[in-house]
Amino acid sequence: MKIRLLLTFVALLFCGIGFAQQPKTISGTIVGADGMPLPGAEVKVIGKNIFDITDFDGNFVLEGVVEGDTFRVTFLGFKPQELPVVGANDYQITLEEDAAALDEVVVVGYGTQRKADLTGSIVTIESEEIEKTPTSNVMQSLQGKVAGVQITSVGSPGNSPNVRVRGLGTYTSGTNVLYVVDGALYDNIDFLSTKDIKSINVLKDASSSAIYGVRAANGVIIVETKSGRINQKPQFEYDGYTGVQRAQDVVKMANAEQFTTMVYESGSQADIQFVLNAMQRFGRSRVNPNVPDVNTDWYDEILREGLIQSHSIGVSGGGDNVTYSVGANYFAQEGILDMKNEYERFNIRSKMDVDITDRFKTSVNMVFSNATQFQPDNAAWFNAYFAVPILPVIDPLNTAASPVRYANAQLLGYRNTQNPLPITKFNEDRLKIRKLLATMDFQYEIIEDKLDIKTTYSHNFSALEERYVNLPYTLGNNYEVQSSIKRENNSFSNQYWDNVLTYKDQIGDHRFTAMVGTSFRDEAVNELEVTGERIRGIGLESSWYLDFADPESFNNNVKEIGKRYYGMSYFGRVSYSFMDRYLLYGTFRADGSSKFTLDPWGYFPSVGLGWVISEENFMDNVGVIDFLKLRAAWGKLGNDNVAASAGSNTIDVVSAPFGDNPRTGIVSTSVFSNNTWEVIEELNFGVDLEVLENRLSLTADYYIRDTENAILPVYIPIVDQSIERNSGVIRNQGLEFSGNYFGNIGEDFEFSIGANFTTLKNEATQIEDDRGYIDSGSAEFRQRTIEGGPLFGFYGYERVGVYQNQAQIDADPIAVSNNLVPGDLIYRDQNNDGMITDEDRVVLGSFLPDFTYGGNIAMNYKALDFSMSFYGQAGNKILNRRRGEIIFTNDTNMDADLANNRWHGEGTSNIYPSAAGMRKAWNQRLSDFWVEDGEFFRIQTIQLGYTVEQEDLPWMRVYVTAERPFSFFDYNGFTPEVPDGVDRQTYPVPSIYTVGINVKF
Amino acid sequence: MKTSKNIFIRLSVLVLALAVSSCSDKLDTQEGQLNTGDIDYTDASQMIDPLIGAYYEISSLGWEEPLLLGVRGDDVNSGGLGDQPLYTETDLFNYNKDFWMYNQVWNSHYNDIINMNTAILQIENFMEYANETNFARGEQYIAEIKVIRAWLHFNLARNWEDIFIITSNQPEAELEQGVATKDEVMQFISNEMDEVIPLLPDARPNQRTDLPGGITRYTAYAMKALSEQELQNYQGVADATGAIINSGLFSLYPDFYQLFKKPGELSNESLLEFQYSDYGSESGEAFYHLYAPFGPQNWDPARDNAEAGWGFYEPSNKFIGFMIDRNETVRLETSVLFTPEGIAELQAEGYTIPAFVSNVTPSDDVINNYVRANFASGKHYLPSVQLTDGRNNYGAGKNFIVIRYAEILLMYAEAVTRGASATAIPADEAVNLVRERADMPALSGVTTEQVLDEKFAELAMEWGIRYYDMIRLDKYQELSYDGRTFTAADEYLPYPQAQVDALPLEATNVDTNTALNDVLSTLNR
Repeated sequence: MKIRLLLTFVALLFCGIGFAQQPKTISGTIVGADGMPLPGAEVKVIGKNIFDITDFDGNFVLEGVVEGDTFRVTFLGFKPQELPVVGANDYQITLEEDAAALDEVVVVGYGTQRKADLTGSIVTIESEEIEKTPTSNVMQSLQGKVAGVQITSVGSPGNSPNVRVRGLGTYTSGTNVLYVVDGALYDNIDFLSTKDIKSINVLKDASSSAIYGVRAANGVIIVETKSGRINQKPQFEYDGYTGVQRAQDVVKMANAEQFTTMVYESGSQADIQFVLNAMQRFGRSRVNPNVPDVNTDWYDEILREGLIQSHSIGVSGGGDNVTYSVGANYFAQEGILDMKNEYERFNIRSKMDVDITDRFKTSVNMVFSNATQFQPDNAAWFNAYFAVPILPVIDPLNTAASPVRYANAQLLGYRNTQNPLPITKFNEDRLKIRKLLATMDFQYEIIEDKLDIKTTYSHNFSALEERYVNLPYTLGNNYEVQSSIKRENNSFSNQYWDNVLTYKDQIGDHRFTAMVGTSFRDEAVNELEVTGERIRGIGLESSWYLDFADPESFNNNVKEIGKRYYGMSYFGRVSYSFMDRYLLYGTFRADGSSKFTLDPWGYFPSVGLGWVISEENFMDNVGVIDFLKLRAAWGKLGNDNVAASAGSNTIDVVSAPFGDNPRTGIVSTSVFSNNTWEVIEELNFGVDLEVLENRLSLTADYYIRDTENAILPVYIPIVDQSIERNSGVIRNQGLEFSGNYFGNIGEDFEFSIGANFTTLKNEATQIEDDRGYIDSGSAEFRQRTIEGGPLFGFYGYERVGVYQNQAQIDADPIAVSNNLVPGDLIYRDQNNDGMITDEDRVVLGSFLPDFTYGGNIAMNYKALDFSMSFYGQAGNKILNRRRGEIIFTNDTNMDADLANNRWHGEGTSNIYPSAAGMRKAWNQRLSDFWVEDGEFFRIQTIQLGYTVEQEDLPWMRVYVTAERPFSFFDYNGFTPEVPDGVDRQTYPVPSIYTVGINVKF
Repeated sequence: MKTSKNIFIRLSVLVLALAVSSCSDKLDTQEGQLNTGDIDYTDASQMIDPLIGAYYEISSLGWEEPLLLGVRGDDVNSGGLGDQPLYTETDLFNYNKDFWMYNQVWNSHYNDIINMNTAILQIENFMEYANETNFARGEQYIAEIKVIRAWLHFNLARNWEDIFIITSNQPEAELEQGVATKDEVMQFISNEMDEVIPLLPDARPNQRTDLPGGITRYTAYAMKALSEQELQNYQGVADATGAIINSGLFSLYPDFYQLFKKPGELSNESLLEFQYSDYGSESGEAFYHLYAPFGPQNWDPARDNAEAGWGFYEPSNKFIGFMIDRNETVRLETSVLFTPEGIAELQAEGYTIPAFVSNVTPSDDVINNYVRANFASGKHYLPSVQLTDGRNNYGAGKNFIVIRYAEILLMYAEAVTRGASATAIPADEAVNLVRERADMPALSGVTTEQVLDEKFAELAMEWGIRYYDMIRLDKYQELSYDGRTFTAADEYLPYPQAQVDALPLEATNVDTNTALNDVLSTLNR
């Protein structure tokens, strides 16, 4: 080996001068260990542009080689071999199979690493797994597939799911994962189609992601888009599917009869009067004359089935010096809310790699995505919940309503108009999203195969144009909405410039890689918002421009926000492996960010150690174990995904009237933020095991992840401001496990089974606030972060039960002193002081699940394939804020579960108060009456496919998919997936049923 | 090949060098942010900006502030149980320290105090570079802000008794001193008003041309009188109110009904008035107070599409009965909006309803029955016909009078009837000026009780004036009405729990070694 390298080196040195040697032609055959020929293997002379691909019989021919040349044979799934040209002209080469593809490389950030050498926790997902899910967003397809990554689906078309890697480590709103798409950094990858992706690598632990320093705190997901291969015949591919989406598990509301019963029971004269008003206005039901002759199912009125479709075409291939991959995707999805609510995206991508010379390479990568999203008005979900069923959609008597005589609940005496239809019909929110990613890099090998330098420039530019139109309407009872248009034009221009120098070498059993680099970031945002009112010609979409607004309405309705952040980083990495047994990995990054005024510089080191036990000699006789590795890693990361510190008191310009004339003045802040990094420090221990001839692989990781200097909104009393300050420690810890088994029964039947689970404990271990807690949510629905509790814990009273009878009331001094009656809730007196006060509140739970699990089964029989995956979570809580609305307007409707299971006599319920009780302040306190269990189990995806492989036809696969067909949960809502755990107007996540076809030729 | 290699290496070095040098200095930049240090303090023409900012802050009231400050009196009720049950409980003197409104009112008052102190510092920055004239102008501006600050402390002390006096915008040192008693706060206000009076313009607020409606010397006298009244130093009250009366600048606005509507804005009666406006334009900029909580929940406005209110502030039957018994006319008609059910209820209670009482207001708005309440406040009502076209919010653009001359006259009269020496007109004359406008017959030899009744009739629904009079005079039986029982323990609100958690409110020995102090002192770094 050494000699060959030396020879190569010598040859290289003198290549300018050249030896007077006679070129010759050599040929050979390449076979596998079983002696079968390997067609399609690449044979290339190192340092020269001479190569061949083996034919069907494994034969190759190389022309123009000279004695002393070295050629390299590579074939996917086999260990590459290098051979010198010495003497013989005919070569018989046997390639060794690469057991379990241990030489597989993984993209680790500014480079790659052998998978077997990893010391951190990195999970790779291949494109086949991603493509199964019918979705606009790549991340949705990862749900339940990666232990330690929690993905919360969204129902609204075009929106991105919420992604959390290893819990919640920051209190501030910036919990976005960092996406690295072909080297460029993103907060969001909604511009990519699932068909654009080659692979996704999730860097979970700090030591793996530390190389991204300050951006990596919430986890790093590296996305590689598809590319071509050298001398690859063009391959065309079409993939398309179409289908329908339906709301699943629609909340059943109380109907007119149930609602009316509740009203009579509540004893509220006002509400009884409203029911009488409804009977007067709309007549009495013939079935039950005490119920108005109206029974509206509001969810039914606002729901619809939505279509979904996707079409992708792509071609990739390569010539001698160039590889390419280009593609286009069209995706369209309608929302299930019956209004202008849809998403349409067209994106094109191209990637080209060029070997300008042997050592000098460049690549250009471009993705353009053009999407239009009509966003839902989620208030409709909320209104549909509380609108009374005794209100019709259309009220012919409501002559004051125009242009449609929609019913208005105020005319029956209710406080709100309630009817959700005007919201869905007289509103349109269009968002045009255009994103462009352009990357170019140059790479030069200073010392062939050893030292190279690479410089990469990338620019991602996004333009978001939002147009929010309110059409004018009236609903009677002086309810008038005037026409208005709000335009929000936001542009984001982010530039990155990275320079990386990498040295790789192997000396005997010592293999190492060293890398140093710099990275410069420049991220600019501009947001312009203008609202115009009283639009002339509002009836026609062609006049939905601010030009036609009343010019006076722009006064004080124009806002502009401009921000620009800079970052500068220096980083390095060393990875070292001795005899493939002992692994050492270390990174260091120094990061400067203009967001931090106190100290812009942060330093983030990491180290990782690995021991591949299965490579030890003493393991030679342990036949069962094919691979066993122990890993330990420690690292630090920064988080600058927080609001920039002001670093100084700031000025706002205000205007106030004096004698009916506006005068302009200024107000100044008296406190300001002055922060430094949030620092994540993480310890990760892992084990990888492969047994049964690599058929069963198991991975387990345990981590403790502390966020130090956590930025919390510290309350400054008197000044009455919450200022973001470095003032706490947040800890996430958990165990992640995943296992995969693949096997076969006979020739034709193959199967695989995978399962994973994650535990999570999220806790604020330290809070430096004088009160010792950080409040969030509203006063009525309090969420509080306390030391030792989870972030954003729901904070209220523990419900013990419901007072069933007067004897129970009389026996309880708390009930007596609060004038309670049977049907009221019993709360736990936590401090046993004989009173229920603020001090009896406790953390009722967190919206973060403490256990999530997923799995999949895949089977192939001849041309048929079947796969199914499932996902579930447990231990999370959801605040049912829709039910909670009753505390503000207690005349509203409620869901059938609450209506039917209310307390209405001894023994009828021990969880829900009586109808009258629900209107009482005592029962309206935040308690676990409103905070419900969010655990669920769901069949995630079922797919059945049939592959056609015939001589005269292109390769073809047809498939049917059911996405989220069945969910099992107790929570009283549409969906237990609520990103922040507060379910007020969450867009329901629909089920999707599609048929699709994939063609390659 | 060698050449390209060399070029490439040289280029890379250059590239790296550029990358390094071009960025490090950018780390100090904060785009899109205007720092206090960026203001040109040598430009005296900008010195008024922080003052305007101060008026803006004080006028940006939360809707709950006047409600909570006013609801406990026997003149007004909460308007029934609804979505703010603890607000109703407060009206019934059942206080809950966890109720968000207490915390909110506490917080917004102190937040405003801090903002006032910050504005003072801003003006002082200008004064450093100012010539003599501008320096004097700066002193006047600061004096104005101190009057506003006094009003904020005054409200806090009237509601919580012992409170912090905060005169800086970095309050840690003042917090360490602990709370001041109510008397100390009132004395502080009185003393500070003495200091600022000479610095302020000798004019009515509506006479100011630089800032029409801005604070003048007489607003400061009024604040002094109010604080002396709380101290029950009636000679002090008579002196301060006497100064206002003797100035001869103030008079009662002749039309009591319109005083609280747009025509009465910035009248000669006004001593302190928060100003709101949409500048008469149908759309665009508007600066409003949210009056909806005061309004009736259901009405047929004379002008289409004028929005109704929330029904959170209901004149009490006690007050209406009192007015009917006194044969009040314009003051009853102005103070109360009647629903048909409300009128029926009064009849059922045995009152003879005067002819002018109707559910149609003098401005032709028709008040309908609604769930929460039978009556709504007429002093916080703007007739729908006075709304700017295209503006539908309840009371949109209406000013909010805080201190008016009628209160000054009655405070003066009370002080004199309590034995203070009359520094201006006789007590009878002061009371009769007020009665005359209300079409009430003149009195002679007025007693303290008569003055208090006059205050009840004249100032009901306004800022809790009635309630604070009753607790000042320990007239608990007056507050024990409609099934309520008022005791001495009910005079003040409990400190909000969130403040107890954060502030040295109940500690006897103040521990300066707290995280709060650390936080606050690092703020000053």
